[in-house]
Amino acid sequence: MTDSRKPQGAVASDLVRRAEEAGQDYEVGLESLSQMQLAWRKFKGHRLALLGLTILGILIGVAVLGPLLLPYNFATIPLPDKIVYEGRPPSAEHFFGETGGLQRDVFRLVVNGARTSLFIGFSSMFIGVVIGTIVGSIAGFVGGFVDNFLMRIVDVMLSLPVLFVILVASRFFGNGNVILIVVIFGLFSWMGISRLVRSQFLSIREREFVEAARAVGVTDRRIIFRHILPNAFSPIVVSSSLIVAGNIIGEAFVSFLGFGVNPTTPTWGNILSNALTFIPLGNWWWPLFPGMAIILTVLAVNFIGDGLRDAFDPRSRA
Amino acid sequence: MTKYIIRRMIQAIPVLFGITIVVYGILLAAPGGPTAKFNQNPRITEEIKEKFKKAWGLDQPIPVQYCRWMGFCNPENVGLQVFIGETGWPNFLPTPISGATNGVLHGDFGFSISSGELVNTRIVRAALPTLILAGVALFVWLVVAILMGVYAAIHRYSLFDQAATVFAYVGFAMPTFWLGIMLIFLFSGPGLNILPAGGMTETRLSPPFGSDEYWVYFGQKPLEALSDVGWHLILPVFTLVVVNIAGDSRFVRASMLEALNQDYVRTAKAKGLPGRTVTFKHALRNAMLPVVTNIGLEIPFLFTGAIVTETIFSWPGIGRLTIAATNQFDYPVLMGVLLISATLVVLANLLADVAYAVIDPRIKF
Repeated sequence: MTDSRKPQGAVASDLVRRAEEAGQDYEVGLESLSQMQLAWRKFKGHRLALLGLTILGILIGVAVLGPLLLPYNFATIPLPDKIVYEGRPPSAEHFFGETGGLQRDVFRLVVNGARTSLFIGFSSMFIGVVIGTIVGSIAGFVGGFVDNFLMRIVDVMLSLPVLFVILVASRFFGNGNVILIVVIFGLFSWMGISRLVRSQFLSIREREFVEAARAVGVTDRRIIFRHILPNAFSPIVVSSSLIVAGNIIGEAFVSFLGFGVNPTTPTWGNILSNALTFIPLGNWWWPLFPGMAIILTVLAVNFIGDGLRDAFDPRSRA
Repeated sequence: MTKYIIRRMIQAIPVLFGITIVVYGILLAAPGGPTAKFNQNPRITEEIKEKFKKAWGLDQPIPVQYCRWMGFCNPENVGLQVFIGETGWPNFLPTPISGATNGVLHGDFGFSISSGELVNTRIVRAALPTLILAGVALFVWLVVAILMGVYAAIHRYSLFDQAATVFAYVGFAMPTFWLGIMLIFLFSGPGLNILPAGGMTETRLSPPFGSDEYWVYFGQKPLEALSDVGWHLILPVFTLVVVNIAGDSRFVRASMLEALNQDYVRTAKAKGLPGRTVTFKHALRNAMLPVVTNIGLEIPFLFTGAIVTETIFSWPGIGRLTIAATNQFDYPVLMGVLLISATLVVLANLLADVAYAVIDPRIKF
């Protein structure tokens, strides 16, 4: 006598046997694609997103390996044989040119800057996402007074002119330290995520599968981590790509004004900050390349964000 | 409708209150405090520092300092009487009722530490240049974004549309200040020296903007003065609006395309109305609904963008005031600027919501 629920056929029965041996549920008949696989399939069809991923990959490669491959360590720049105050335009030897003043190789500055700028962009995003997810989960799951209180804090934070506040905070607490700047940016980039996560919680909390899980006696912790948060994954990923882009520009802005990272650690922003004083000499190559690096990174991240949004959207088909 | 507006205004009060606490907290937590500027001065002893703190009320407990800064407390009184103003009414009420003039609630931000002037004086003096810059930028931004978006939507997938898409992507990824630097290189560098690199007026021809002499000069030669400022406005305005135009022209295009696909547009065309009437009367007016809200929300960020634009182009506005105050640890000025711009954001949100409700009759409360 066979169980009618058991899938038929050789392959299927093999699966069933293996599942039974492992003591698992055996309702596996068809191998279906997971949500991630579906999303990846759609993402691959998005040409701009793939381009963005390639560019970002190269930039991260440059940031990680670049400083190691360059002939000079950043700290031990050889003194130029002859100082040209206004710098030197791009040449075969220094293909991004040389800066005015200290006569530094712009290419080396940009490569070293990639390390700091990308590090700040991604790790501050990470801090923001963690805080935002925690706050949003608490607000959405607990509800009531706690929810109201947390969301009013979010309202206040969103009403602050964030760049103003970051500027002041960087000046007062940053001390030009990369880690502190990352923390400051992280502390001001969680509000959007927390609203997103909260709204996901509010809608998913009432769905049947959560009710079923609760009826079976699943603990709150498991409901949060297994049933609700995975569903909130895709909007979080999409909006975190926007945060990375925003924070890279934001850091450049703050460092440009001289309140961000110390000039001894190059970032794309503080390279530009030094360039501003040399404007009358007309050395365009100095600000051009770090600016292009920022634009390229932000473009790549935005393309990836677009691709992810389409890939996770169940209404769009690949 | 009125009920909705009143409810929104009441909801804004705790947010504004929270903002004052956050702003106060950040500046309070700053290392060094207001006496940090004396650290380098060997003539100033600990004793003098204590006197300074006492004179400015900095030796009081933090809640008292906050209470005085906000204007809840009357510094003249002691005990529970501190909350009572001169006329016997609570101190936080408007000046005509309570007689109190101190604190943020009565529009008094205190004295600037670095210059000794009233914070209000400094902010008002810096506000006019910023308003000129932001006003012109807003105008250019709206006109160009709407024209570009509408044209791109009508001629969809044309060469112009594709160029506008590329411009939107690149413009959106571009840091404002970088654009400013490159523009200075291009137009006021050694090569092509045709536009002024900074400032608000030609310093050789006119007195500094905002001084009494300037207004005398302005009265004598109004046309020359205006064209001078206009000439200096070109690069900063361009720098300020590119990012906004990049984002909003896409937004207008999407909104317009949606409107053009509506049934009522097809009906209007089927009735035989000329294409221009249909596009501009039926489609455009409806397409503007979401655009109005979006732009309302973005206006406060003109002021944030102005910080960096003003720094690059040495425009004597709020942005430069902020940078100077940050550099000099001038807490009262910073608190004033932060609080005013946060209030602007809250007001803009409120106005955007109300405007949306007013122009879209489908929205009911």
